[in-house]
Amino acid sequence: MRKSLLNISILISMLYSCQTEKKSGEKGDYLRWVGDIEQNDQIDPPEFKICNGDDNIFQYFNIGEGPVYHGEKSKIVHTFHSKYNPITGNNENGFIRIRFVVNCEGTAGRFRVLQSDDTYQETEFDQAIVSQLLNITKGFENWEVLKINETVVDYYMYLIFKIADGQLIEILP
Amino acid sequence: MKHIFILAVFLSSSMAFTQNCEAYKYYGDTLKYKACNKAKEAAGHYQFSKEYQIALDESLEIDPTFDHAYFAKSIAYLKSGDFVTWKRLIDQAVQYNPKEHLGYRGWCRYQFFRDYKGAIRDIEKLDRLVDYDIGQSQNGTYHLNIAKGLCYKAIGEKDKAIEIIEKQIKLNEEENFVGAYDYVHLGVLYLETGKFEKAIETFKKQTHYNELAENQYYLALTHQKLGNKNESLACLKKAKELYIGKRRMFDTYSNPMDKIYLEDIENKLKTPFNPPDGRSPAVLSQ
Repeated sequence: MRKSLLNISILISMLYSCQTEKKSGEKGDYLRWVGDIEQNDQIDPPEFKICNGDDNIFQYFNIGEGPVYHGEKSKIVHTFHSKYNPITGNNENGFIRIRFVVNCEGTAGRFRVLQSDDTYQETEFDQAIVSQLLNITKGFENWEVLKINETVVDYYMYLIFKIADGQLIEILP
Repeated sequence: MKHIFILAVFLSSSMAFTQNCEAYKYYGDTLKYKACNKAKEAAGHYQFSKEYQIALDESLEIDPTFDHAYFAKSIAYLKSGDFVTWKRLIDQAVQYNPKEHLGYRGWCRYQFFRDYKGAIRDIEKLDRLVDYDIGQSQNGTYHLNIAKGLCYKAIGEKDKAIEIIEKQIKLNEEENFVGAYDYVHLGVLYLETGKFEKAIETFKKQTHYNELAENQYYLALTHQKLGNKNESLACLKKAKELYIGKRRMFDTYSNPMDKIYLEDIENKLKTPFNPPDGRSPAVLSQ
């Protein structure tokens, strides 16, 4: 029993560490674009497909429509406020960003997590906070399908969660 | 696909390289002159690209105090929501040239991360440092004092926010340079603090200046507070029409404070005569 609990705990910890953003940016270590997310077969489901190739993934704002959400942002906000359970006694403050790719079918994949305290220093929040936010984000089945000149495109999208005293106080952008 | 991609990326590239490197030469700073010219090699490449970032790294190898290169490098991290790397880079730009970058850092703290207290600190620090006008936000939408006022509102200091925004709007009016959303923000503040007549007067100015769905929506809420049922309903219908016609508050990267959604209008339309709460619906969703 004890051993299986330990194994589960190690597995969970491995999964979250894998989904933590890998930092590139030192000279000679750049990918095509800042923030590009490469497929990681250990954590990214193989069924998630990029439609137009990794070299043609846009940023959400390249379209010039501002941040767009399927069913408007209010739907996202309502979902988080109804599903997220604040952690009692937690007094952590800062930002959690979950960034991902939305493909041409409006499906999201390659989720990555970045966390900082409220002075922008990288940190790790209580896993109960991060896992909830990640699971709720992954639970959205439809993201907006974006088109440029009538061509459907893949794009990077992110959600930033502002946390104050362990409470979810704002969702950006 | 490739043509569409290149075109879209080109159109969204920034004009971060309009610096005149000759100025450094004129003042005898040859190191910065060299760093500046190296940084110019990033021009024409997309801010997010490897080529852009490497040119700036090479510029910083020449002069690690060249603030502009840190600033230019930071942009892609900001726009991708990487607050950790962005802050590390923009802090260095501020360190080496605070007058040039404090206002920008303050604005970005607000626009991208709703770091209200941090934004206030930066904008007020800039104000203490310089004896000239602190200027506009990076996107040109607001005077930095209006942005500061919005930050004070967000941390609950609404009277202070009103004082700051009223003062700046007066200056903007004198220069015939009122921001696209200035009146609607001030009107919402009046509404939220029970100054209904002033709110109506201010929303009317916004109508005259730049009509928006948000303006009519908050005007409707104000009329509800005053018991003007017919006016309220008319404003809500107008708000919906404007919203569908995309005459609404907009920002390329984020959602402006006081922005509303179609759902907000429709919910109020379903119950136009119910006691209103007068609360900004977007407080939790900006």
